[in-house]
Amino acid sequence: MIELQGLTKCYGDTRVVDDISLTVEQGEFCVLIGPSGCGKSTTLKMINRLIAHSGGKVLVGGDDVTTLPPERLRRRIGYAIQSIGLFPHWRVADNIATVPRLLKWPASRIAERVDELLALFQLDTDGLHDKYPHQLSGGQAQRVGVARALAADPDVLLMDEPFGAVDPLTRDALQVELSRVHRQTGKTIVFVTHDMDEALRLASRVALLNGGQLVQYDRPAELLVAPANDFVRDFIGRADLGLKLLSRRRVEEYSRAAQRTRNNALASASITWQVDADDRPMALLGGRLGEPDTARTVVTPEWTATPDMSMKEALSRMVWFRVTALPVLDSEGRLLGEVTMSGVMGHRP
Amino acid sequence: MPVSAFRLPTSSTSDARLIANRVLITLLCAGWLSAWLLSFATLSPNRLAAGQAVMLRDAASEWQFAVMLVLTGLLTVAAFKRPLPRALAHAVVLLASLGLLLVTLYSLGDYAQRALADTSSAARISQGAAFWVIVFCCALAAIDTFQRTASGWLLRLGYMLIAGGSVAMLFASGHFHDLSIMREYANIRDDFADQLITHLVLVGAALGPALLIGIPLGLLAHRHMRLRGALFSVLNFFQTIPSIALFALLIAPLSALGNAFPLLGEWGIKGIGAAPAIIALVMYALLPVVRNTYAGLKGVPPATVEAARGMGMTARQVLWRVEIPLALPVMLSGLRIVTVQAIGLTVVAALIGAGGLGAFIFQGLGQYAIDLVLLGAIPTIVLAVIADFTLQMLVVLSKPAGTRR
Repeated sequence: MIELQGLTKCYGDTRVVDDISLTVEQGEFCVLIGPSGCGKSTTLKMINRLIAHSGGKVLVGGDDVTTLPPERLRRRIGYAIQSIGLFPHWRVADNIATVPRLLKWPASRIAERVDELLALFQLDTDGLHDKYPHQLSGGQAQRVGVARALAADPDVLLMDEPFGAVDPLTRDALQVELSRVHRQTGKTIVFVTHDMDEALRLASRVALLNGGQLVQYDRPAELLVAPANDFVRDFIGRADLGLKLLSRRRVEEYSRAAQRTRNNALASASITWQVDADDRPMALLGGRLGEPDTARTVVTPEWTATPDMSMKEALSRMVWFRVTALPVLDSEGRLLGEVTMSGVMGHRP
Repeated sequence: MPVSAFRLPTSSTSDARLIANRVLITLLCAGWLSAWLLSFATLSPNRLAAGQAVMLRDAASEWQFAVMLVLTGLLTVAAFKRPLPRALAHAVVLLASLGLLLVTLYSLGDYAQRALADTSSAARISQGAAFWVIVFCCALAAIDTFQRTASGWLLRLGYMLIAGGSVAMLFASGHFHDLSIMREYANIRDDFADQLITHLVLVGAALGPALLIGIPLGLLAHRHMRLRGALFSVLNFFQTIPSIALFALLIAPLSALGNAFPLLGEWGIKGIGAAPAIIALVMYALLPVVRNTYAGLKGVPPATVEAARGMGMTARQVLWRVEIPLALPVMLSGLRIVTVQAIGLTVVAALIGAGGLGAFIFQGLGQYAIDLVLLGAIPTIVLAVIADFTLQMLVVLSKPAGTRR
């Protein structure tokens, strides 16, 4: 957990960070975002004391950061920046082992940890272990950067525009991967970016900064639904943000229990799934706009959903096949639940 | 005039051109012209008398001359665009120029043996202008080829070792025994070894303190912007003082110091001798050391340093594990500059009684004995070339693996 209490940074008479207070809960993915010069990077660097704050307090895991020597503090906090931050004279394995070596782990434990992280980031191929940073692709270098930050298994991870220098396709892949690693490890992450799409895709909470002040700190959807002022509206107010938001959400988050029946009889709910003996959906009863609830539609694979499908894709299928519900299937094709048009609208994402 | 006009011709030759390697053609012309117009050797009745010129055609034996013709023929073919492909042409140039160098050296020694077999022992044979021109043309042809091929450091090292080794073997075999310069050497053999060691000690004694003072100063210049300007103006000022003037300037204060504190005088702090020489050499060496240390550290990407700090390295760990290793190639280039510079400047230090190879040069100039001058000059050049080459190799090896060329 990270707490900023009235955090302030002055250079001469200019307050580049002005009285920022926010709490990042355990396991939260907090994105600091704002126009350039808004103080987001400075705020991040005050957490691990790369920049000394002029006022206020920073608590990491309940401890005031100024009570520890800065080096000890930083070894407890993961830190990742753009790929240029990799040490060019060290091989990939040495780069990842940086913090464990500073902490004087035994060599066998370091080697084990390096292999574990290479596997976690799918870097355990092509003899990448022994390559030098300049031999890596942009995406690989970024992954090594994040793996290095996670090496000593810190509770907290600070990331300063880590994907700023890679092409859009690679960035997409890296974002998906970071989300996965975040889910798998449950780290608390503070992430700086100036890219709203990136923020919406990754964040569980977004802190929008402007002129050194915290404008709004909320869940991504709240920023859309209830922007605090015109600045927030301008900053995020671009076309198809609703769809973008749905593209960051997975079906399982919207899935709810489905109404089943074994025979052709109309059930009580307006949407009912007729299933076979193995619980595989055969037909949808109701659930067609402009048609009576008795309408029977045979299920085809084109309009089913899986738990890890994006909600944007699910919505697209509903529109294309003119149904108001999709069955959510497991890998065996059995019915897990359903997502519905009204669920998309009613759900507070 | 555009800067590019000063660049050496490179391998970027157009398809239409007949000659692929214009540098080589120029060198060949120079070699041929010198062989026909200038003396290859000089035969004189004694050490000091003026000699009589001997041309290459007369000095070289039949087979030596024939080998020279074949090798220059090969070099000429290699300079053209056809028929040899480029890689093969480069290999031919490297091998033929080394062969030509060796056969030229050999034929000079051989000529001296044959010519002196039946004359008085006072007669002397020295190398003439054409000999020097051919030797330098061979060396330049090889160096130029390495520039063109951007070849790996291992190949360069191997070639250097083979070339140096074969020349050294020729010397060791006593083949040049009858050359005037080697007779001069025989006279001063013991003194030569002493002065060579003195020379090396002076260079080492200057480089040690220069690095010990210069590297921390470079660090300071990198850390404190305000210090930088003042520091570099002072060091630049040192460089502008002519070396002889600096040696002379140091005589007065150091002898005063030695007289005022007899104990210091006993340690060797005197107006003349090693003390002023070392001090002057250190002063000259400081600017390149400080400048390259500073430039090397400045070249380390700030993001890398920030990452190192962010990972929790202490200031010292950042310096030793990240900044110094990454700055090392540039710092070693600085060391290369000052080593070569110090080897040359130490020659002048002989003027204030510091000794070293310069002693022979000034002695020879005084006696009008050109061979004695060469005995001081040639080893100085060889030392400088060896130091330069060794440090160049170190620069390459100090770069992160995989980025070496």
